[in-house]
Amino acid sequence: MRFQSQKVAYWFFATCMLLLSLQIVYGFIMGFARIGLDGLHDFIPFNTARATHTNLLVVWLLTGFMGAAYYIIPEESDRELYSVKLAYIQLLSWVVVGVIAIIGFHFNWWEGRKFLEIPRPLDYLVVVNVLTFLFNIAMTIWQAKKRSTTQLVLFFGLLCAALLYLPGMIYFDNQTLDSYFRWWVVHLWVEGVWELIMGGILAFLLIKLTGVDREVIEKWLYVVVGLTFLSGILGTGHHYYWIGTPKYWLMVGGIFSALEPLAFLGMAIWALNMYRKKGKNHPNKIALYWTLGSAMMSFIGAGFLGFAHTWPAVNQWTHGTLITAMHGHLAFWGAYAMLVLAVISYAMPNLTGRKLFTGMSGYLAFWASNIGMLGMTGALAVAGITQVYLERKLGMDFLVVQKEIIFHFIGMLLAATLFTVGIAYFIVDFIRHGLPSNEAVGKNLGDLD
Amino acid sequence: MLSKSQARAFFLGGTFLFSAIFVFLTVDTVRQNDTRTNAQNLTEDVLKGKEIWEKNNCMGCHTLLGEGAYYAPDLTKVVERRGATWIDVFLDDPQAMFPGERKMVKYNFTKEEKGQVIAFLDWVGKINANGWPPKPNIPIDSIATPQVPQVKSNAVVLSQPEKFSQICIACHAVGGKGGNVGPALDHVGSKFDSDYLNRWLSDPQAIKPGTNMPKLPLTDPERKEIVTYLSALK
Repeated sequence: MRFQSQKVAYWFFATCMLLLSLQIVYGFIMGFARIGLDGLHDFIPFNTARATHTNLLVVWLLTGFMGAAYYIIPEESDRELYSVKLAYIQLLSWVVVGVIAIIGFHFNWWEGRKFLEIPRPLDYLVVVNVLTFLFNIAMTIWQAKKRSTTQLVLFFGLLCAALLYLPGMIYFDNQTLDSYFRWWVVHLWVEGVWELIMGGILAFLLIKLTGVDREVIEKWLYVVVGLTFLSGILGTGHHYYWIGTPKYWLMVGGIFSALEPLAFLGMAIWALNMYRKKGKNHPNKIALYWTLGSAMMSFIGAGFLGFAHTWPAVNQWTHGTLITAMHGHLAFWGAYAMLVLAVISYAMPNLTGRKLFTGMSGYLAFWASNIGMLGMTGALAVAGITQVYLERKLGMDFLVVQKEIIFHFIGMLLAATLFTVGIAYFIVDFIRHGLPSNEAVGKNLGDLD
Repeated sequence: MLSKSQARAFFLGGTFLFSAIFVFLTVDTVRQNDTRTNAQNLTEDVLKGKEIWEKNNCMGCHTLLGEGAYYAPDLTKVVERRGATWIDVFLDDPQAMFPGERKMVKYNFTKEEKGQVIAFLDWVGKINANGWPPKPNIPIDSIATPQVPQVKSNAVVLSQPEKFSQICIACHAVGGKGGNVGPALDHVGSKFDSDYLNRWLSDPQAIKPGTNMPKLPLTDPERKEIVTYLSALK
């Protein structure tokens, strides 16, 4: 790391690791419930496990984005963070709000809207927290002498993510409008501004890891995020087919969803091309694996698998089935989870001064978790297709069909175990790096710029 | 080739243009919303029902308009499919209605709350959702299946009591129509006399402790009507 204040990123990353582990635990609870082993039903019913699982995902990814921003922004701005103290306060309050929310879920305290289950009073605290975070980042950039595209795209992404949280806090007594504006948060985050954040982080990592000229990388960053917004904004329409909105959404959503894979394809081609043009080899190969892996897996999971069921004629059958869960898993993994793990893999040696990237465990973490996740996606895909045919096309009863697909969930649990082994390797490596050290300040291990 | 400022213009221009279109379509969607969702039918009960729905995070298992958790059935058309009476009985003790199946939390709703949930689901079922959910479109007889032996029963001749077709049929089949959670009732009249059937319906647990059959809220005339019907199934 270049600057003392970047150390704060470590604590965000450590929180990430903790929340990710917890997310996996809740995933297993749900997986077992699906094969009929729901011994925890009285304490953690499925809806609690589900809300906890998805909210932990959102929270750990956002924590990762914040950590990434605290790491990247000082380096891009070429100065210390505006306030380290504020960053620690912000992390602490963030964790407190998260813990209260998750405990609340176990006592039937929530807002009960998919992905936005956090109770309303806590929403306000989240807003205050995120504003604090943005203030800190904005002041750092404001007082910097250097402006870079990467820095600005990342900031713009974080700002929009914060602004777009607000429509989710309006109460509608009409289910259709409620759902309509809920997607402003959920879709426009995941398929809009989060991709902006992703582009910013990817650009930073590519600049560091490939040594390709910043100007070239940043030019294409604009093109890639431009494609994202071009397809992603009106692509929201694919959530509006069947919730009571006008019929033109079928056409708008269909066409722009069909363009969404292009944005991800652009992202993948961009990353691979920059890698091919690399000046020389960066020693931190593992960070490169996660970086390029994220660009490619996001194309498969978010781009291709998303496209596979957003066309209206297909979606009318797959909507609200396990096909969505199938796409969701690989999309989040490829686009965002792998990206956060990429930042962590790149930052940890720099923060601590320890070169653990030469060992085997990093590769084991990468391959085991990726093959595991692909296995989970495959199992969900088969279960989902079976469900669509039996329940939707043939009209069989929901519960009867669920019994037919138990076998695929056993497969999913096995793949999830492999995935967990990979993540365990990653976490063990994370712990072995130890704490950030003052001796590591002022130099980056093996950077080319 | 594209310069950096052109790339930036592409990003900013594209974002602005498509955001503007999105906002425009949103305004139009909101404008049409009242008609498409029958907003005039949003009664006090419906709104209370929505609150109960959210307060208990029903979407954490069920789906509604295809949005939810895919762990429990989609409830968009549940009132049309099951009828209000059945849902009312079901909510009292969900596990009793589907013994040994996927579990639902017993929420202990009051009679009033149950009515509100049903009112909400009934309203949702009537939203103009562009024809969703679609009707199954692979006809069962297009799939080669062995001929099911025809059940000989006089069920067709008899007309089912209203309560029977609202509640019992969800678990039991008569003449091949109905659920398969409990046994088919085609010949129940030749197995049990009407006195036994009457005692059974009054309190299944008292006759066979541990049975999966729930005690149903039937009035005396309703029970009598069902017993008469069942006794005739020979």
